Amino acid sequence: MLPYFCKLGLKMKIHCFNQKMFCTSALSPLQLPSRMETHLWYVLPNEVKTQSLLSQYVDLLSPLEKDYLDIHSCVSPRSLVFRKNAHGKPEVIWEQSDDWHPPPLHFNLSHTSSLIACGVIVGSPIGIDVEEKQRTLKSNILSFAKRYFSCEEVEVLSAISDPEVQRHEFIKLWTLKEAYVKALGTGFSGAPFNTFTIRFGDANPNPEDSAIVIVPLEKPTNLTTNWQFAQVELAGSHYAAICRQNDGLPGGVGASMKVIVRKTIPLVEEHCVPSIVPVDD
Amino acid sequence: MASVAGSSTLMASISCRKPNQASNFNAVSLAIKGNSFPSLKSCSAPSRFRVSCAAKPETVDKVCSIVRKQLALPEDSAVTGDSKFASLGADSLDTVEIVMGLEEEFGISVEEESAQTIATVQDAADLIEKLISKE
Repeated sequence: MLPYFCKLGLKMKIHCFNQKMFCTSALSPLQLPSRMETHLWYVLPNEVKTQSLLSQYVDLLSPLEKDYLDIHSCVSPRSLVFRKNAHGKPEVIWEQSDDWHPPPLHFNLSHTSSLIACGVIVGSPIGIDVEEKQRTLKSNILSFAKRYFSCEEVEVLSAISDPEVQRHEFIKLWTLKEAYVKALGTGFSGAPFNTFTIRFGDANPNPEDSAIVIVPLEKPTNLTTNWQFAQVELAGSHYAAICRQNDGLPGGVGASMKVIVRKTIPLVEEHCVPSIVPVDD
Repeated sequence: MASVAGSSTLMASISCRKPNQASNFNAVSLAIKGNSFPSLKSCSAPSRFRVSCAAKPETVDKVCSIVRKQLALPEDSAVTGDSKFASLGADSLDTVEIVMGLEEEFGISVEEESAQTIATVQDAADLIEKLISKE
């Protein structure tokens, strides 16, 4: 049941609940992300165990949202309203009033059966994708890549001789591509994966050292390239990719993203966890 | 199958909708620009449209079996035309693998733009038959 909550932006509501602009909370208020920061929250649904907690989450939803489940001055989480853009990407509809100008807050959700993540950012669209490290494909990885990825990406994957490393790199590449099309807001159909390459700056794709760039393959193209990426490991079990715009950031285009990762049980607890960059096994 | 022109397919889908399900109308998005056509609900429709809307049962069955295999669902699990991939536990990677499996099984090529419109087994079967009939 919890993944459906999150699809409705519950985590977004909880996040706003904890921000400085809101009054009542058992948890101490947090600052909104600065323009240089990206916040990444995650929940392990297994840890949400009590019915009373689930009831508190349900309580935050509007009647319409509750139906979907078969199921001001201070902004209460309850009052947050969501809609989908033309391609189905969820976003917040802020109430406009003369004396309150809402921050340009953006969020994106992703989940697997064992983890739900929400990226929150100010001033830029964001896309995130999470995938289990142990995820396997039913098809052959290179067959899949040849069908859906770009030639350059197939070459990079083909050059990896260890099948486990190849599988991990495939999953990381998948999450990066998903994060990008989700940040664009068009999804997979608006930006087919074989119309762009995700290229690592170095021959060795070490995310700490090199910038990840988008290389559109069609001319002319609708695909924009002013995006930066981060990769993080979550809970030791998942790869996460984050994509946000890189315009006007201090340090310029090559600067790495400042990601603050928090693990949470909504309404109960949260704590920062170190932002771990995935390395090859 | 509905006639080949895209707009006719869309009109057939509106006619298939049960008259008193006004609240479901939003589910059939009239995205004329072609951005997305969320799932056309499977039709329990006036019979003159039934043949036009729904794919052959054999096609639906083949799709169900490919979906079961991809999602590792037990043989007796409920997978029908109405089943939504997301409800069966498929994420985006599963859906793409399923589409690839359907391409191999039926000898078709599914554009990514179409792949995203597939929400249920019936959607997949309908798309398959549409693509086969074009070849």
